[in-house]
Amino acid sequence: MNMACRLADRVRVRKESWGLLFYLPARHRVCFVKSRDWLYPRHFDGTWTPGDIAADVARRTALPVEKVERCLYPLTDRLKKDRVITDEVR
Amino acid sequence: MKYADWPLSAPVNLTWEITRRCNLRCIHCLSDSSLAAEGELDFEECRGIVDQLAELNVFEINFGGGEPLLKEHFLPLLRYIHSRGIVTCISTNGTLLTDEAVDCFTGNPLVNVQVSLDGATSDVNDRIRGEGTYNRIIRGIERLAGKDIPLSINTVVTSLNFRQLPRMKELALSYGAGLRVSRFRPSGRARDSWDTLKLSPAQLRELSAWLNDDPTILTGDSFFSISQDGRRRLGLDICGACRMTACIDPVGSVFPCAFMQEKDFYGGNLREASFKNIWENAAAFKYFRRLEPESCRICPRFDKCHGGCPAVAYFVSRDLNRADTECLVSWSHDLASAPI
Repeated sequence: MNMACRLADRVRVRKESWGLLFYLPARHRVCFVKSRDWLYPRHFDGTWTPGDIAADVARRTALPVEKVERCLYPLTDRLKKDRVITDEVR
Repeated sequence: MKYADWPLSAPVNLTWEITRRCNLRCIHCLSDSSLAAEGELDFEECRGIVDQLAELNVFEINFGGGEPLLKEHFLPLLRYIHSRGIVTCISTNGTLLTDEAVDCFTGNPLVNVQVSLDGATSDVNDRIRGEGTYNRIIRGIERLAGKDIPLSINTVVTSLNFRQLPRMKELALSYGAGLRVSRFRPSGRARDSWDTLKLSPAQLRELSAWLNDDPTILTGDSFFSISQDGRRRLGLDICGACRMTACIDPVGSVFPCAFMQEKDFYGGNLREASFKNIWENAAAFKYFRRLEPESCRICPRFDKCHGGCPAVAYFVSRDLNRADTECLVSWSHDLASAPI
């Protein structure tokens, strides 16, 4: 079973020069993720697994996918813990 | 947070004072609302602004005024904003709710409603918001309560209602609402009532402790400079004006925040310039982003509040390089030096 990343209910995101800005209106909170050009809002549309995202970043940056995964997975775990994103069965 | 490290391409949220018209004459009104301003934006102009904000991915628009429900095209505009996926918060005095408005708010995931009430009893509220308003506001809250509408009661904390805050919380809870408190600031009509309604240093200390003990109380704006460290973790540590927020007035002029609608802080007008252009290039906005009050730089808490609320500093001293006079360090100092 593949688990994709989706924005949690009502959470919004937009791309900024330094990374992604998430907005959690229910809690009136913002979450800054300094991901530069690694991540885009599309990565959280419910169709990308963490592995897909890592592969996409690796392809665009020419970095080894293992290195991207080492940075990315703790971040996606943290965003899930903070209820910014959720798992979605793909 | 250092803004230079996290510049935003657009605000997170905006305050939009959609009209200056209001049926009440609250003595602390930040925008001195009464009659509609000359040349207020029409529906098509508002729609054009919404298109710009949607394009910039502004997440939320907070409507105030004036009383937004007195704007003739307010509900159609709200529906248009929702069609663009933008979250809205409607700040209303609660006395003019129609069936159409309640229907528009109900079950709408893009709506939050905030009703202003300034006392847990009519004698306190009515001294601020006008004779007979308490009962009218409560009737408005009753119309919204129990429906699928995220609801909060907003209270501007003054020396008049300070002692009633716990009762305000209970009152809000009884309607399934949260209590949100706002700071009383000396702009608009509040300039005339500032000296009599502002909190004393001892009251500020008590308020700070109360907020620290109760994280369920929402604090909308600029509480970071008067709050203890436990509370501060819940929000910003710097004024959001021109960094995360801005204000559009009824005729389309853009200012750093709703409390700073002064000629000196004018960013531009949306009839003449795009919002993006104003946000990126207005001299006043650039100034605000760099603002670090000189009198605060040696303060040991500077990293925790960066000078506090510039609106309080400006309207009290006419000097943006002075500290927020209600900041935690100021009132602590006042209390320490007060005769016992």
